[in-house]
Order: sequence, then structure tokens, then C-alpha cells
Amino acid sequence: MAANTGILRRPLAPVGIWAWMTTVDHKRIAVLYGVTAFFFFLLGGMEALVMRVQLASAESTLVSAATFNAMFTMHGTTMVFMVVMPAGAAFFNFLVPLMIGARDVAFPRLNAFSYWLFLFGALFMNFSFFMNAFPDMGWFGYAPLTSNEFTISNATDYWVLGLLVMGVGTTAAGFNFVVTILNMRAPGMTLMRMPVFVWMTLIVAFLIIFAFPPLTIALAFLTFDRFFDTNFFVDIGAGSDPLLWQHLFWIFGHPEVYILILPAMGIVSDVLPTFTRKPLFGYSMVVFAGVVIAFLGFGVWAHHMFTTGLGPWANAAFSATTMAIAVPTGVKIFNWLATLYGGSITFKTPMLFALGFISMFMLGGLSGVMHAVTAVDSQQQDTYFIVAHFHYVLFGGAIFGINSGIYYWFPKITGKMLSERLGKVHFWLMLIGFNLTFMPMHILGVIGMPRRIYTYAEDMGFEFLNQIVSAGAFIIALSVIMFIINVVRSVRQGEPAGDNPWGASTLEWSISSPPHHYNFAIVPTVRSQYPLWDENANVILPPALPAHDEPVMPDPSYWPIVVAFSITMVAGGLIIWQGHAIAGLTVIASMGLLGMRAIYGWVLEPMEDEAHVSVHH
Amino acid sequence: MARFLKLRTPILTVALMALLLAVLSACASPQNTFDPKSDATDSILTIYILVTVVASVVGFAVLAAMVWLIIKFRAKPGVPAKQIHGNTKLEIAWTIAPILILLIIGIPTMYWIAGTAEDPAPNVLEVEATGHQWWFEFTYPGMGPDGGDLITANELVIPVGRDVRVTLHSDDVVHSFWVPQLVGKTDMIPGRTNVLQTFNAYEPGLYYGQCAEFCGTAHALMRFRVNVKTSADFSTWADAHNAGPAAPEPGTAAARGSLGFATCSGCHAISGTAAQGRIGPDLSLFGERSTIAAGILDNTDANLKAWIGDVRSIKPIPEGARFMPTFNDGTLDEGQIADIAAYLNSLTAE
Repeated sequence: MAANTGILRRPLAPVGIWAWMTTVDHKRIAVLYGVTAFFFFLLGGMEALVMRVQLASAESTLVSAATFNAMFTMHGTTMVFMVVMPAGAAFFNFLVPLMIGARDVAFPRLNAFSYWLFLFGALFMNFSFFMNAFPDMGWFGYAPLTSNEFTISNATDYWVLGLLVMGVGTTAAGFNFVVTILNMRAPGMTLMRMPVFVWMTLIVAFLIIFAFPPLTIALAFLTFDRFFDTNFFVDIGAGSDPLLWQHLFWIFGHPEVYILILPAMGIVSDVLPTFTRKPLFGYSMVVFAGVVIAFLGFGVWAHHMFTTGLGPWANAAFSATTMAIAVPTGVKIFNWLATLYGGSITFKTPMLFALGFISMFMLGGLSGVMHAVTAVDSQQQDTYFIVAHFHYVLFGGAIFGINSGIYYWFPKITGKMLSERLGKVHFWLMLIGFNLTFMPMHILGVIGMPRRIYTYAEDMGFEFLNQIVSAGAFIIALSVIMFIINVVRSVRQGEPAGDNPWGASTLEWSISSPPHHYNFAIVPTVRSQYPLWDENANVILPPALPAHDEPVMPDPSYWPIVVAFSITMVAGGLIIWQGHAIAGLTVIASMGLLGMRAIYGWVLEPMEDEAHVSVHH
Repeated sequence: MARFLKLRTPILTVALMALLLAVLSACASPQNTFDPKSDATDSILTIYILVTVVASVVGFAVLAAMVWLIIKFRAKPGVPAKQIHGNTKLEIAWTIAPILILLIIGIPTMYWIAGTAEDPAPNVLEVEATGHQWWFEFTYPGMGPDGGDLITANELVIPVGRDVRVTLHSDDVVHSFWVPQLVGKTDMIPGRTNVLQTFNAYEPGLYYGQCAEFCGTAHALMRFRVNVKTSADFSTWADAHNAGPAAPEPGTAAARGSLGFATCSGCHAISGTAAQGRIGPDLSLFGERSTIAAGILDNTDANLKAWIGDVRSIKPIPEGARFMPTFNDGTLDEGQIADIAAYLNSLTAE
């Protein structure tokens, strides 16, 4: 009773803006993550296009150096933290409970809290654009360029605080998914019966839990350096060390690469069986290879630092570990290819993107092995060869994998099919545009074009290849427009999907599209890795329940968004504090109090509203 | 088709790679890493080619296998998929295969790393390079007047055929020292001393270098040249550097400029003269340099005047950064700027 009185009356309406802002339903949170990630994908893509127009001609003066530097800084930060990670989170959120036969995640309100912190942190960082302080010191933020001495504007403040805010949400999500996957599986859903995507989510969640603390520490140090004149990275004479930042950043940064790519590997591992009509080849090898990659991922960070003078022993050790990580990665690729063997392959759009993922990711992996060789890295480091490499991994890998997942699960999420024809146009344009953009970058790196340069002289011989690259970037943009048309068309007039349009094998396809808010009318009992394909283990579920028999689900709550808002505004108060101490402290204090109030509200609020519970019982 | 792909792929790949390598090494870029001009970059290229060939053979082979698989096993009516769950022997095989392939590139890698730890020849030329936002300073310890330092900037002068070892420092943020044709890059990190791989240039000439680590707004314009001279020319250059310039003929522009240079001497030094400022680049033997403004403009009279007049119209210097002031705001008139330019370009080794 108490929970539904007062200023913040608990919203129980199932539709409308308040329903979305207070939702704790994992499927709605997934849609929020997905739509937000796509918005930032467009933003980050536009930042890339600005760079590509600038670099299309030698000595171009279209944008200033400062603008160009801001573009590559925010393109990198956006694509990593605001696009690929939340896109992964969208899939985790939508799919994990459905795939393991659960009705929601373990902590539904914490789940909403994670999303709102991500959104507010991302908006906070991008707000700097309107304050004429767009971050321009690189997404890697190397000390001491980030110190007050070298960044005079507030740009770095927005960047460091925005990342801290987003990091809190991400870490919470990591714990949420570990608990969900370990504790909320349906009867019979043993670990080794879980879809590979769930396995990859579990691994990513652990990676987040262990990789984000070093980043958070580095960001906290930097915050203290910038706001309170501490000396972690700044005054070398007084004992600080700029290289400390690089170690902390890459101890986070390399596992982060696997946080970005493992969800795509999971998606592809579940898409391939559906479109080959056969089980994944070597399921346990694919799973264990993912685990090995995650472990090794913590032991390779210094390959980002081969040129920092760590010495021959460190370089030899990290060169060896980096090469070692190619082994489990290779195992995965071979297992995916072996899955094709003996199959009955149909080339629907999700399958095309999955095959695109395998081939492009494989090329990116091979160029990655090239700069595990320190000799070669001393020429490739900080050149366009590296840019080419990680785009093959993160675009050719992660983005192609995510697109495969979008085309595959869109019917489940919306209940409508996407157009196959537009999907194929999207795929081929993207594949061609992608290779036109990033393949010539290898050669640009070989002929000595450094990264992060806003201009190059005519006599460098870089112009022709850069023009091809820029043309490719616009073909990618065109392919994204095809995707938007496809989605809009499908939402308006798409064909109804039915429960299982692809004839797939996993639990999410056993229920309606879109699923009921309670997912499973009756929690299924699982007897197989491929429950819907296995005649002996067939899951027969009632399609829906009469209203009075519906399971009671957690009710919406205001508190997650309020706590997330107050945390973000405390960060904002810090920035105000630099200019106006009293105003800043007022904001920090009032938002701190609001946050405290909201945490109490959250703690004392029952999961299900009493009024709501009484209706059903 | 399948047989063709299986047997010919490696051969095709090698042929393609050979073509690519030929094209790459013929590329007209002055920073082409496939066109090495020293023992250091040559040894890198050997491994580079090995790694490129291995990676390409594997890449094309896997791509070919994938194409073959998706053509061969496309859905055909009445042909059901084989329900294969895995094959332990195969999976162990393709765990071991990458390890073996990695050994092919891993062993030379370790040899190369061990080589970088070897001592250079006893007659090695030691140079210290310091990165500044956004220019390079080069110091030759013990080679200056009276056994002091010889200091120059933005154009590293070295003798051909002699080991050169560059020690790296930074005055502000992280920079990276890179001369693609002569030596791979190593970072210049404030508070740390790094040592560049020892290199030995094959032939005299002018080589392009560039800062490779993002170092702030004007990073793209932080470049330099390495001027490799014959042993005799190198000595001539060092002696002229230390001797300092002859007094310019009275009444000439250069003579007026030498007086006008007093405006500049708080920050710039010219060896053998009263100008001993150490905030900006050393300008000794300026007339010998091929470029100005840290390797971004040809050293012509017009460029030099434009640079002295307003550096900000040429390099994007953020507000508040420590950099050369603007002089065409009334501090100096056009004539004075022209005189200083004339003086600077009169500083030659002859």
C-alpha cells in the first residue's frame, strides 16, 4: 500500500511513455538498448563520414584539426561504449531469459538501472558537444594529454565522467547476467545444454566483472587528477607515471575486445545450426574455446604497448600470449565451417550476415596475428593497418554478427518478418562497402599513413587509396539506409512471423512472437540441446494463459531511472563546480539526497505492487 | 572446382602475394615500409613478408574452403542435412594445426626480439631525441663545441653506414618516433627513457619521419626528416654547426635579420652566436634544412616568411598552448620578417 502512494505513484499502465520509462521487463529493456544503440550507431557513423570526407583529399581544410580529432575520439568512444556493447546488451536482455526458459532476469530493477545509466552516461558525454567541449584526446585517453595542462576545456571531464557513469551500469549488468544464467535456468537446462549465445553471454558477463574495475580505477584516478589536483598521471618529477594509465586502460581494453566480439560469436553459433539444419559442430569445443579466449584475453594487454619500450622480455612474453589466443579463435572458425559440412544450407539474410561474420572476422584475426609479431608491429602500430585490422574484427565481426542477430530475432521481437529482398540488398551493399572501406587501409598502413591525422601532404602518395576508402564508407551508409527502410516497412506492413519462422531449435521459438510479458505460460522442462528439434524432448507449451492464470511479474518502478538520473547529475554537478563552486555543490548535494531517497524507495518497494498482486490472488 | 581450389589455392595465393609485394615496394610513398633503407627495417621486412604470406595463405585457404562448403552443401530438395555433432580427432587436429603455423612465425619473432637486445657496433653514433608539441629536438652528446652537446631540430643528420642509436624523451605528452624506411617506431614518454632499435642506413638521402602517437591538436603536422649523409659530409656538417655562422656582409638583408633575430633569441638558439634560447627549436644551419615547421613545408623564402608571420595560419595551435607567438600582428613589419628569413637561410655550411 505504502509503495503506491506519495509523489511517485507506481505506474501500472502497460503502455505509454511512463510504461517504458519505468519498465522492468527484460524484453522492453532490450528494445530500449537496441533502439538507443542504433541511434548512437547513426551518430558514430556520421562522425566517421566527417572523417572520410576530410581525408578524401590531401591537405583538405574542410574541418579543423580540433574538429577532426573530436570526430575520431567520439567515433571510437561511441562505437565501443554506446553501440556494440549496448547492442550486445539488447540481445542478452531479450534472449537470455527466453533461451534458458526463465520469465525475467534475476534482478529486473537492476536491469532497468543498468540501461538508464548507460543512456544518461552516453547523453552526458555527448552533451559536451553543446558546451563547445567535445572530447578530442582520443578514445584511449593517453596520459598526460588528458591532464588539465594539455586539455584546457572541459572536454576530458565530460568524457571521463560519462565513461564512469556508463561503467557502473555495465558492471551491474555483468552481475545480473551471471546470476540469471547460473540460477534461473529451467529444469533440465544444464550448462552444457545452453545455447552457445547464453554461454557467450555468461563469459562476457564475467569479463565485464573483471575488466571494468581496472578501467574504473583508471577513470577515478584521472577524475581526481583533473578535479582535485592529485598526481597519478601528471607530474612526472613527483613520481607519477603516464604509462600507468596505458597499463590500466589496456588491462581493461583487451578483454573489452572480447566483450564486444563474443556476443556476435554466440549469435552466429546459434544462427548456423538453424540455416544448415544440423547441430553446431563441436558444441563443447566452441564453448570451451570461448572460455579460453576470455582467460587469455587478460594476458595479452601489453601487445597494445609493444612500442612503449617495455623491453625484450615483456615483448616476447606478450607476443607469445597474443599468438596463443589465435588458437581458440581458429578452433571456433573451423568448427563453424565444419557446421556447414553436410548441411542443407539456405541463404536467408541472417545466414548471409553470419557467413559474412565468419569470413570478415577471420581476415581480421589473421591481420591481428601479424601485429602479434613485435617486429611487424613496430611498423604497423598506430598506422592505418591497425585501423583496418580492428574494423575487420569489430565491424566485419561484431557488426555483421549483430546484423545477423537482428534479422534472425526481429520476427520474435516484433512478431513481423523483415523483407528478405531488402535484407539481401543491405547485406551485399554492406559487404562491398565494408571491404572497399577497410581493405585499402591495410595498404595505407603499409605505405606509412599514421592513424589520427587530420590531414596528409600531397607527396605522401596516400590520396588515391583514401578516395576509395571514403567512397566505400558512403556505400556502408547506403546499406544502413536500406536497413532503416526495411525495419520501417516491416513494422508497418511486415508479414506476421508466427512462433518459429526459421524452424529453429531453441526455446525462444516455442512461444509466441512477440512473447507474452511473462514469456512462458508454463516453465518448460528441457531434455536436449536442441529442444524443438529433438522429437523425444519436444517442448509442448500452452500458447497463452487466461488472464486470471497469468503469472505475477515484477511491476514497473520509478526508482531505477531516478537513481540513475541522480548519479549522472552528481557528475554534472562536478563539472558545474569547476566554474561555480556554490552552484556545483548545490547540485551535487541535492542530487545526492535525491539518489539516497530513491535508493530507499527502491529497497522498500515490493517487487510486485500489492494492488496488482491482489487482483490475481 | 573443388579440386582446383584445394590444390591451386596456395600457389595462387603466393602468386598474388608476390604481385602485391612487387606493387607495394614500388609504391611511391616516402614512408613505404616495404621499401626499407636500413638494416633495421630490412630485418623487419623479412619477417613482415613471411607473416604476410602465411596469413594470406591461411586466409585464402579458409575463404576458399568456405566458398566450397556453401556451394556444395546448399539446400537441395530431398537431401537432408547430416546430423553430425562433432569429431574429436578433427577438432584436436585443428587445434594443433594453428599452433604449428604460429611456430613458423613465432620462432623468427623471438629471434628478432633477441636481436634488438644486442649491443651495437663500438663506433655507434648516440643521439638523443626529444618530442615536443609539435616538433622534434635532436641532441648529439659530446659532439658540440668544447665537448658539449650539438643540438638541432626537425632534421636528424646522420652518417651513412654507421650504427645509430637514438635515445627517446618527451618534454610534454606521449609522442612516437618513426622513420618508416629506416627504423620502426618507439614511443617518447615523459619521465621515461626509451631506446630506439639501432639502425644503420644503407644510402645517403632524405627520409621522412612522423610522430606516430596522437599528441594533441597538431599531431598530424608533427613530422621530421632524417638526412643521411656520407661520413665526410656528416663531419663537415657537424664542424660547420659548431663553428657557427660567419658574420653576414653588412648592409644585406641577412645582416639586418641577424640583428632582428634578437626578437627570436629568447626561445631559439643558433650555435656560435649570442642566440641561445632553448624553448623553441635550435635553428643552427637553418639554410641547410630541406623543410620548416617540423617537416611540413619546403624551406622556401615565401613559406618561411609566412611561418614567421603567423604560425597559426599554418599549424592548428590551440589557444593557451605554449607555442611561437604571432609576429605579423604589428610586432614585426613585413620587411623585418623578410630580413629574419633571409638571415636564417644564410645559415649554411659553406
